[in-house]
This record gives sequence, structure tokens and C-alpha cells, in this order.
Amino acid sequence: MATLSTEVLVIGGGATGAGVAWDAALRGFDVVLVDRADLAEGTSGRFHGLLHSGGRYAVKDPRAAEECIAENRALKTISPDSIEDIGGFFVTTPFDDPAYADVFAKGCRDTGVDCEEVDPAQALREEPLLNPAISRAFRVPDANIDVWKTVWAMARGIQQRGGRVLPYHEVVAVHRSGDQVTGARVRGAATGEEIDIEARVTVNASGAWAGAVADMAGIEGVRVLPGRGIMIAMNHRLVNTCVNRCQMPTDGDIIVPIRTVCVIGTTDVNTDDPDDHTVLQTEVDAMLDDGEKLVPGFRQARALRVWTGVRPLFEDSKAADTDSRDVTRAHALLDHAERDGVQGFVTITGGKLTTFRLMAEETMNAVSKHLGDERPCTTKTEPLPGSEEGATYRLGERLGRKEADLAGEQLICECEMVPRRKLEQAIERRATTNLDDIRRLLRLAMGPCQGGFCIYRATGILHGLDGLTAEQADESLLHFLRERWKGVWPILYGDQLRQARLDEWIFHGVLDVEHLPAAHAQAEAPAETVAR
Amino acid sequence: MRGELHYDAVVIGAGTAGLVAGVRLAEGGARVCVLSKGVGSTHLAPGTIDVLGYGPGRVSSPGAALEEFAAAHPEHPYALLGADAVAEAVRWFGECVAAGPLAGYRYVGGLEHNVLLPTAVGALRPSALVPETMAAGDASSALGHVCLVGTRALRDFHASLCASNLARAGVTARSVEVEIETDRADQNALGLSRQFDDPAWRAAFAARLALKLQADERVGLPAMLGIRDPHGVWSDLEHRLGRPVFEIPTLPPSVPGMRVYEILRSALRRAGGRLVLGAEVVSAERSGSRVVSVATRSAGHDARYAAPWFVLAAGGFGSGAIELDSRWATHERVFGLPLQGVPAVDQPRFVGDYLAEQPMARVGVAVDSQLRATGAENVLVAGAALPGAVPWREGSGEGIALASGSHAAQMVLAGAGAPAGAAA
Repeated sequence: MATLSTEVLVIGGGATGAGVAWDAALRGFDVVLVDRADLAEGTSGRFHGLLHSGGRYAVKDPRAAEECIAENRALKTISPDSIEDIGGFFVTTPFDDPAYADVFAKGCRDTGVDCEEVDPAQALREEPLLNPAISRAFRVPDANIDVWKTVWAMARGIQQRGGRVLPYHEVVAVHRSGDQVTGARVRGAATGEEIDIEARVTVNASGAWAGAVADMAGIEGVRVLPGRGIMIAMNHRLVNTCVNRCQMPTDGDIIVPIRTVCVIGTTDVNTDDPDDHTVLQTEVDAMLDDGEKLVPGFRQARALRVWTGVRPLFEDSKAADTDSRDVTRAHALLDHAERDGVQGFVTITGGKLTTFRLMAEETMNAVSKHLGDERPCTTKTEPLPGSEEGATYRLGERLGRKEADLAGEQLICECEMVPRRKLEQAIERRATTNLDDIRRLLRLAMGPCQGGFCIYRATGILHGLDGLTAEQADESLLHFLRERWKGVWPILYGDQLRQARLDEWIFHGVLDVEHLPAAHAQAEAPAETVAR
Repeated sequence: MRGELHYDAVVIGAGTAGLVAGVRLAEGGARVCVLSKGVGSTHLAPGTIDVLGYGPGRVSSPGAALEEFAAAHPEHPYALLGADAVAEAVRWFGECVAAGPLAGYRYVGGLEHNVLLPTAVGALRPSALVPETMAAGDASSALGHVCLVGTRALRDFHASLCASNLARAGVTARSVEVEIETDRADQNALGLSRQFDDPAWRAAFAARLALKLQADERVGLPAMLGIRDPHGVWSDLEHRLGRPVFEIPTLPPSVPGMRVYEILRSALRRAGGRLVLGAEVVSAERSGSRVVSVATRSAGHDARYAAPWFVLAAGGFGSGAIELDSRWATHERVFGLPLQGVPAVDQPRFVGDYLAEQPMARVGVAVDSQLRATGAENVLVAGAALPGAVPWREGSGEGIALASGSHAAQMVLAGAGAPAGAAA
């Protein structure tokens, strides 16, 4: 069996885990980051894309609001390449308690969230599709963030500093020697090969799965209640800024424009299983009704895709033994030396995407102590790879590049304007046969046609570049189509059903993918994906 | 609105079914007008005449399989139309192509035997009648050595993938790439087909390609061998390369599909029919169970078209003629006709398994055994608006379109003039 040895092993390649590994790498520690699937494929990649200003928590959870506004500013500094700084509004619709607006404004003042009340007429000039009956409007510094871009930028940074990033490596055992956690055994999904990773400190950053990983370490009572929420991407930016209803946070009260789409979210249903991705028809209907309240006519727009994410809501059965402050906080850092007398093991869970950097900093402060080598955190000032120039992403960047050179670069995905060279680089860099991995990396196939045109092209390019067998290429194509369908079929109506029918004509009527030899092999073998 | 225009029949929809109905009506002496929101499904389809490819196992002889298939699917258009009507319509189409505007271009094959044509991903797709430009790719009998030709200039065809899959299916296939210079990177097959129409450009291309070929290899190219003169382009390439050459349909816009459109449009014009594109039907005037006239809205002006007969060939969900709204209600959007095959309110509309049959797949306009719309006795339904079929999975789209379009025309011609007071 292969073995690796490192100072810090991080389990969980979401934003938090990648953030911990990035923080560790910046402090000069040797680090290995593992995930059972692709990076940011779980909760991190399954949210609406909102970089919170803190306004949402200004009344309900002032401490979270303070953290959000601080992290909002920090991330705009260190990761501008993945952030579009579009701003946001909190608006009082006829469906909201009008008294909340003043409570909200006070909450923002008290927590330091930048918030400026604007004339509703001005807000409607900036957001012409918004419900014209809004009575109050507040401008806040919300933004959107492409979390895959952020996480992969951190992964590159980790690798540049000698760290190792192993997606598709699932933890099958956490090693323990007496009261000391000494690392973990992981199994590569592509080959089934197992690797023993010896680590001085192991960080459990597996979010909604943190309880299961803690169990493997023989630590009891780490209870994470997965809260499932649905989000629906619509095919236009129906709003220009992040629009929130000015009320106590509830379902379906945010629309976040991100890249070429906008995303409405979300719901919150407790579930036992963090891998539960059920989408109920009633939830879709409720979400569309909520959309109508913010943007009348919302139901006439095309819904492209629905997905669910699970929030990790932490509940410590040993709460009495720990600082009570930690129980009420949005995120929870568990030093198992203090909590359970187990050395070399730290759990970080809960929290929100916006505060991942802070969570990582606190985690690595604790890890540094374990290592007996307290080095300062620099993630607040060190730009991520790709963000060195400091310019935030601007919608139209890709179009601008394309228009400047029509003869130059072939577009493979026209919806998201993914050029061929970018796709080829991504395939080579990731050494992946999984088109869904490429989708997250480049936003390939995330637009209105949901891969109707680009997935055949991408399969052909993948086959040619990677020297795949036809079986592997066919399986990549079919795997993509099956995965795509999961997010498409619950929201098929209106013009998106037209689109789906066109896609069916392409894949069945023109290409006849159903009768490729690989169509009979239904095994969902994970594709080989090792970052290099 | 201008004055009402009067016809013997008004056809709604300019896909294969609507155009065939229009042509055959005009050929039968009716004054016919085809109204359409835009060009139809021809531009998306491979341009082959698929009658029955899968039932659900691969069908080798659609003519022989049709009756059994119809018996097993009593609500399928084929069960209502009958095998003879399908055969007649397919035969007519072949003649229509031969008499058409694309000199020398013809279709080969028939209902006796499905050919197996390589798709752009390298699957083998069954088809009854195919353009001559594709026929040499038929893998239903020994194909010998095949060389697939790709070019980086066309992102919509990947020769290497196609060849690798063909090899898995037992075809001795390899691929080569040929440079094509273009002035814009995002070239599609239509753009390249115009270059193939240019004899000098084509000669230079053939010379470059010839250097890469081995003896006894037949040559497969993406379907882009000319839009103006496909027969000339294809036979010239066969001559220059000294071997069989065949086209492989790929992503839309479909060059062979656009040829079908051109052939039918030209036939309609020659027979004295009228085609109005950009004319979406927005309302219909009814008198009891009859439709009296339809109104269109177009850029220039609104117009009203009155006729004793209407042929509804506007398509299904794919064209938007049938809609499922966000409250999960279905509508036929031209006449508001009742639909057939819609799952009950408490039943799933779609299911999570991508390759399973979707419950909504067979929805169409409810018809009687003569393909008259339920609740509108002078509306005949044709093509993808019909219920009971999953044409993109069955490989039956053109067979249904041809036979139902022809059937609608025959129904009108047989009863033409009967309704009183409707003629101008």
C-alpha cells in the first residue's frame, strides 16, 4: 500500500477544507487535502452563489453579520477573480412586515454592515423587473462568488507550495493510536487503490459528513444535522444585483445573479442523510411562487436546473463541556484534545460559505498549537492564484475577449462562452474523464441548453486529447447526460421543455447515444480524477 | 388588419409534415397557404427518412415490421395511418426529391430494408430512405475500410471518436484530420457547405485529403458537402478521390435537413402553394365545432386566413405549439384543442432515469381515427403534434410526418368544396 506522510491532513475539499489547507500551506506547513468526490462538489458547490454582506443576519444573528461583512471585504481583496461585485438590495415587498425595515436598518448599523436606504423608485430604476410595489429598499455590499473558481484557485496555490490535493479519495478509516489520531486511510475512486496518510494533525472539515468522520476516529457525539435546501437557476439575470426580501430570513427570499443566470434560494428541511438530494414538486412550486413575489412574471422565465445542498447545522451533544458561545455560533471548531482528550484531531463544521476563510484561520490557529509551532495566518492579505491583479470578475469579460478576436478561438460552450483552449487546458490539468468535473471548473454546459450542443463537442475533444478508449468517452458522455437529467427533470416546463426536446432530438435523433455499445454498461464508475 | 384571405386549406407549420401537406394539397389542385412561425424541424433533423428504427429492438425491415408495431401500439399514428399509407408517402417523397431543385440529388433505399448510418458519435442508426450522399456509409452489410475525416475548423464533428466507436461495432475505421482555413473560428456545417459549393476550393480540399488516404478506403465526412449543389459536390469528390464518399449528419443546423426544406419549399411554390414564414397564428375564429379562420401576427401586418380546412402541423413541445406551463397544465396553443396522453395530475410527468421513457413523451393533440382533431371537425393533425409516438427514440419522425401530412392532404382533397359558404 502506498503511504504518505504530512504535517496536516485535511478531510473534506469544500471551501472550508480547501481554505484550511490553503491556510496551512501559506503558514509553511506540509499539507494533504482529500475529498471523497470532486473539490466543492458537496455543500460548497450546491448553494446560490451569494457572498453575504451580513445583512441577512443583521437582526437574527448579529455575530454572524459581523463576521460576514468582515469576510465579504476580505474575500473581495484576496479572491476578486471569482467574485463579481454587483451589490445587493433588501426590499420590503407587500408580503413582508413593513416594521422589519427599521429593525433591519438598526441591525446593520449595530453590526457594521454597510447599508444605505434608497428611494424605492431608484431601486426600481436599477432593478426594473422587481416588484413595483416595494415600499422600502436598502443597498448592501452583497456580491456573487464562483465557489469552484475560488476552491480551485486555493488548490493550485496549495500545490504550488508543495501541498498535495487528492479529489476522489474517500476516507475509509481514521487511524488512532491510543489517544492520538495519526492520520487516515483513503481509497482512490478510479483505481480502488488505498493510501495510508500519516499526519501529525488531522482536520475533519467534512461539513455535513463531519459526524461520520468523527465516528471513524472513535469520537462520539459530533452531531451534524443536515438541512436540505433547494435552489433553482433561471436562464437570465432577472435582477442585476443580489435581491433579498427585507424580512426575517425564510424560504425563497433571495435571488442571486451569477454569470449568465440567476439563482433563487432556498428552503430548509431537516434530513437524516446528507446525500439526500430529493427535490419535491411542492418545493419547486413554492420556490416559483416566492420568485413571483420578488419578480412578477418569474414563472414565465425558464428554469434551467434545480439542485439541493445540505447545510451542516451543528449540535454538540457535549455542549455542556464546551464554551457555550460555540454552540450558538454559526460555525463550530472542536478541538478534540480539549473536548475528548484525543490529540491530533480537530473538527470544523457549520458556518457558511462567506465565512470559510475565517473558519480556516481559526482552525489553523488550533492546529498550529497542536504542532507546537504557532505561525501567523496570512490568508487575509495573500491573493489567491489568478487574483493577483486585484480586479473583480466582470460579466461580459468572456464576450469581450471573444468579440475582439472572432477568428481566433473556437467556442465549445456558447452559452457560457468556454473557448476550446480553456477546455483543453482544463482536461489536461485535471486529467479527468468526468465532464461534470469540467462543468464545475469552467461552467461548461451551465447555460440555457444545458449541454445540448457542447457535450458532444467536449466528449470528442476529451477523447482525442486524453487518448481515451471509445468506451470511456461514451461513458463520460452518458454519465454527464444522466447527471444532468437529475437536475433538469423536476423543473421541465415552458420553454425549457422545448429546449429539453431539442436536446433529446440531438442526443437520440441525430447521435443515437442510446445505442452506443456503452449504453448498456450502467455502472456509474467514477472517472479517474487526480489533480496534477 | 387587412382583409380576410381565403384558401381551400390553411396549413399551420412548415416542418416536414406541414410542407408535405401543403405540397400535396397544391399538387391536388387546392389553393393552399402554409403559415409558420419560422422554419421547422427540418433544420434540426439529420435529413434521413426514418420510418421505424427501433421497436424497441433494432428494426431491419420497417416495411415488414410496421403492421406488428402498429398492432402493439394502437394509439400510435402508424396504427391510424396504416402501413400502406406510409409506403405511399415515402415513395412520393423520393419522387419529389428527384423532381426537385437540387439537380441530380436523390434519395435511395425504401421500406424493405433499414440502412445503418454512422452518427457523429459513431453509433449506427437505422434509416429507411437516405440521401445518396450518405448511402456509402451503410454498415448494414460489409463496409470495408473506412476513413473518417474531421477538421479542427468544425467543432461539431469529431472523427476520432466516431471512428473509435465504429471500430467497436466491427467496422474497420480510422480517422484523419484535414486543415480548413476559415475567417471565423465558430464555423458550422452550413458555413463550410458553402465553401464546398465552390469548385476551386473543393478541388484544393480534395487534393489535400487525397494525400492522407490509403487504397480501398471509403471516406466519411461530416454532412457539409454543399447546400446549393450537393449532388455535384458529392459526385465531384467521389470522382476526385476515386472512391465512395459519404456524409455523416451532425449537430444542427443540419445541411441535409435544409436541403429537404428547400426541396419541399420549391415543390410547394411550383405547385402554386403559398408559404408565409414569420406568421405565428395567434388566434382562431370558431363556429361551433368548426374553425372558420386564423389570425396571424407578423412584423409587417396582421392578417386573417379563412378556409374550410386547416391542417395543424405546428409540432409538439419541441416547437412550443404544445406547452406545459409552470403550473403543470398543458395547452395546445394554436386552437386550444384537447390533448391526449397527458399523465394524470397525481402521476409523474417525468422520471429521474434519463434513458427511461418519460411519461410526457407521447402527449399530442387528441385525434379520431381519421386524424381529425377532437372538437374541431375540419382540423386535421399531422407530424409531431400527433400523440402516441416517441419519434426521437423510435426513429419514426419522418415516416410519421410524411404519412400524416399526405393523409391530411388526401382528406382535404377528398372532401374539398363540400363545406358551403367558406370558399371565396
